[in-house]
Amino acid sequence: MEARGLERRFDGGRVQALRGADFVVREGEFVAVMGPSGSGKSTLLQLLGALDRPSGGEVLFRGEPLGAVHDLAGFRARTLGFIFQSFHLLPTLTAAENVQVPMFEMPWPPRERRARAEALLAAVGLGERLDHRPATLSGGERQRVAIARSLANGPQLLLADEPTGNLDSESAGKILDLLERIHAERGMTLVVVTHDPRVAGRARRTLRMLDGRVVSDEDQREGAPCSS
Amino acid sequence: MLFLTVVLKNLLRRPARSLLTLAGIAIGVAAVVALTSVAWGFEGSWERAYAARGTDLIVTKVTSQSPMPAPFSESKRAELLRMPHVRQVNGLLSDLVSIEESPTVLVFGWEPGGFLWEHLHLVQGRWPADEKEKTAVLGVVAADILKKGVGSTVVVETGEYTVCGIFDSGALVENGAVILTLPQLQQVTENEGKVNFFNLRLDPGTTPAELEDLRAAIRARFPGFSAFTAGEVAQNNSAIRVAKAMSWATSLLALLVGAVGVMNTVLMSVFERTHEIGVLLAIGWRRSRIVRLILYESMVLSLSGGIAGSALGFAAVKLLQWSPILRGKIEGEVSPGLFAVALSVALGLGMLGGLYPAYRGSRLPPGEALRYE
Ligand SMILES: Nc1ncnc2c1ncn2[C@@H]1O[C@H](COP(=O)(O)OP(=O)(O)OP(=O)(O)O)[C@@H](O)[C@H]1O
Ligand SMILES: [Mg+2]
Repeated sequence: MEARGLERRFDGGRVQALRGADFVVREGEFVAVMGPSGSGKSTLLQLLGALDRPSGGEVLFRGEPLGAVHDLAGFRARTLGFIFQSFHLLPTLTAAENVQVPMFEMPWPPRERRARAEALLAAVGLGERLDHRPATLSGGERQRVAIARSLANGPQLLLADEPTGNLDSESAGKILDLLERIHAERGMTLVVVTHDPRVAGRARRTLRMLDGRVVSDEDQREGAPCSS
Repeated sequence: MLFLTVVLKNLLRRPARSLLTLAGIAIGVAAVVALTSVAWGFEGSWERAYAARGTDLIVTKVTSQSPMPAPFSESKRAELLRMPHVRQVNGLLSDLVSIEESPTVLVFGWEPGGFLWEHLHLVQGRWPADEKEKTAVLGVVAADILKKGVGSTVVVETGEYTVCGIFDSGALVENGAVILTLPQLQQVTENEGKVNFFNLRLDPGTTPAELEDLRAAIRARFPGFSAFTAGEVAQNNSAIRVAKAMSWATSLLALLVGAVGVMNTVLMSVFERTHEIGVLLAIGWRRSRIVRLILYESMVLSLSGGIAGSALGFAAVKLLQWSPILRGKIEGEVSPGLFAVALSVALGLGMLGGLYPAYRGSRLPPGEALRYE
């Protein structure tokens, strides 16, 4: 995945959220994106996830510009997984049902959707909470449900925007363990936006942003990108 | 989990609001069901009456305002009898009369010995002996409404008549009526020598083409008159026409209110869920699925309203049928056909009310919807 001179302006150019961000994320990498508030991290993540269109530059996924993809919804459904700071589960649905929400875009019958959701919830340690609604779960548990949901359709790229931002440090640590384990087991590309230095500590690589630009790119394991 | 589960759980999120909208639809559909049921039932009742009488063609003066055609001279009978295929002609006079305390009742004057009497079943007493006798027979419903039995007296206009018999007919319009002999009714309503309908029986085996020729011939021979088949009389009755037009206008209004209610509710719930729609788009839902979600929500809402409304409408008809004023005058038709119409109407409302909110919901840009809290 590659960003080439990404720019994003809002309000007719008065706000410049991104001013030419350039970087490459290799397949299977675990990358942390850090930077002060307002530096454009969330905006960048939305562009990577095709939720928004850049004002300039382009995003390439496996060499193909996202702007040229006809079925962006299908791309998001099959290739991407999103994890948000405030979980964004549907309040009316149970944990197992929330995990099944993205599966409507796949050709699976209801039984298979249910079975997959149960397996994913078991994998994030919530096998006993299948029929709980989000309101009856703790913050850490909710984020686990959200992670299970992001994995619903077997994504190749996981995008997380401050996944531990709303959690106490103990739950945050567990969520990080989980993300790290999932990344190791499933080998997908993982991009995590964060303020938390511990997250950055676990990532192989950290991009630092300032005023809409990538100002530093540190590879913790010099010359050893994760293989997949 | 089924897609429908998401739809239903969304509706149950605000049960009071959903229920109120459902009630709005239900009232609209109930109005449609009740009014249509009565209109259809009324038409059906006349059709059954004519079919039971064995009447092939009805000749009457064309009127537009009055519910009862104006009386005309009986002398046309001989001429009608000479026309091709006409086997029997019975004149009758009918009027809406207020009898004692009760609301208006349909009173018929029928020719003694005519074929009209043949289809009635005598339940009690006897038929009028001859045209001199001041007697009347009552339909079972009329006897019940007027609280009269054999031997009691009914006052029609200025005349007093002894009830000599109670009859049962297949059709409500006749069961709710009082029947005198034609000369007696002519005399008391000062319409001597006049009738307002001729009932014609034709030769068996008269083809539809011959029937059409006969109708044309009658219209040509008697300007200002018309010849209807049994089914058409009810359709051409001005009272029924007015009632139907009113019922349509009322129904349309009720439905419009219902549709606006659905649209308001669904639109509100779409605006409330702007952020949620953003999430759904972010996790890969297509816009078409958002459209479907919103449309299904409004359709489930209106369909449940339609079912409740049908039940309510049918109950209202039953209630109306037994109300003192309308008793014996209306006969609601409760048919699967009407139920199907009611449900399709409700479904149409749901579509109509959901279309705009669905359009709005599906047009949200995912990034902005996500930022919206
Ligand atoms: N839709 C929008 N309309 C107007 N301005 C916007 C919009 N989205 C982002 N911005 C602006 O762009 C800049 C970058 O925003 P962004 O949300 O990407 O920051 P961030 O790095 O994620 O910050 P934080 O760490 O606080 O989440 C901010 O100044 C923000 O106000
Ligand atoms: Mg942010």
